[in-house]
Amino acid sequence: MRARDINKVELVKQKAIELLVEVGFEGFTMNKLAKACRISVATLYIYYKDKDDLILNIGTEEVHRMSAIMLEDFDPESSFAEGLRQQWKNRAKCILENPLTAQMIEQLRSSTYQEKIFETFGEIFKEPLGKFMHNAIERGEIAAMPLETYWSVAFGPLYSLLRFHNEGKSLSGKPFVLTDEVLWSAFDLVLKGFKK
Amino acid sequence: MEININEILLFKTNIRTEDDKKHIGKIMEEHKIGQWTVDLHDVDCVLRIVSPVLKHQDVITLVMKNGYTCEVLT
Repeated sequence: MRARDINKVELVKQKAIELLVEVGFEGFTMNKLAKACRISVATLYIYYKDKDDLILNIGTEEVHRMSAIMLEDFDPESSFAEGLRQQWKNRAKCILENPLTAQMIEQLRSSTYQEKIFETFGEIFKEPLGKFMHNAIERGEIAAMPLETYWSVAFGPLYSLLRFHNEGKSLSGKPFVLTDEVLWSAFDLVLKGFKK
Repeated sequence: MEININEILLFKTNIRTEDDKKHIGKIMEEHKIGQWTVDLHDVDCVLRIVSPVLKHQDVITLVMKNGYTCEVLT
């Protein structure tokens, strides 16, 4: 019995993400991936059954890795302001430090792989985030509202800013770089919006 | 995850459609080959079999006898 060659598996994963972002799911083939990794197609098939198996495995692994970053140092029992600040910090870090993975996850969201992969996301976040929102309502820090409203107000502005940053431009093509100052002043506005 | 490379057999085939796959599926079942997949999305239609006993030539003979091309994937 031989263990997986960890370096090779990591290389395959890295190149697969790059290729998926570059050519999309339709254009992605095992041949192109093997070429990018400078390994034989047969080697890919030792690790993965087929293209779907590869995309599902890598997608799920990356979703798990991102989820762990998003929940780092996040305590559902913390005050609303503190907990939301940590969430912003983690989510920004996640996307700024892993732009390719973030883009791949976006692509997965609108693909046929969506259901299988994002089941995992839901399971991981449901408990801590649900508890956090529930606590905030219980303590009277925010008003009761549907989860969708909460999520949109809490994170919509953050994701818009991060998108502008990753594209390097904002509305009407104006150059844009996300600074800490811009990020945290937007956060303060969101917090103000939630205040009862 | 542990993978025993010696138990994985890979072939380039022309098992291209869902019907082809169904056809091959029956043959695999008849020969008690449980762990097999075909990548219909791939140009090489890669047939992947996990088996501690089968040899490459066994599979090539079996698949070709049923009207498909089959060669070792390198």
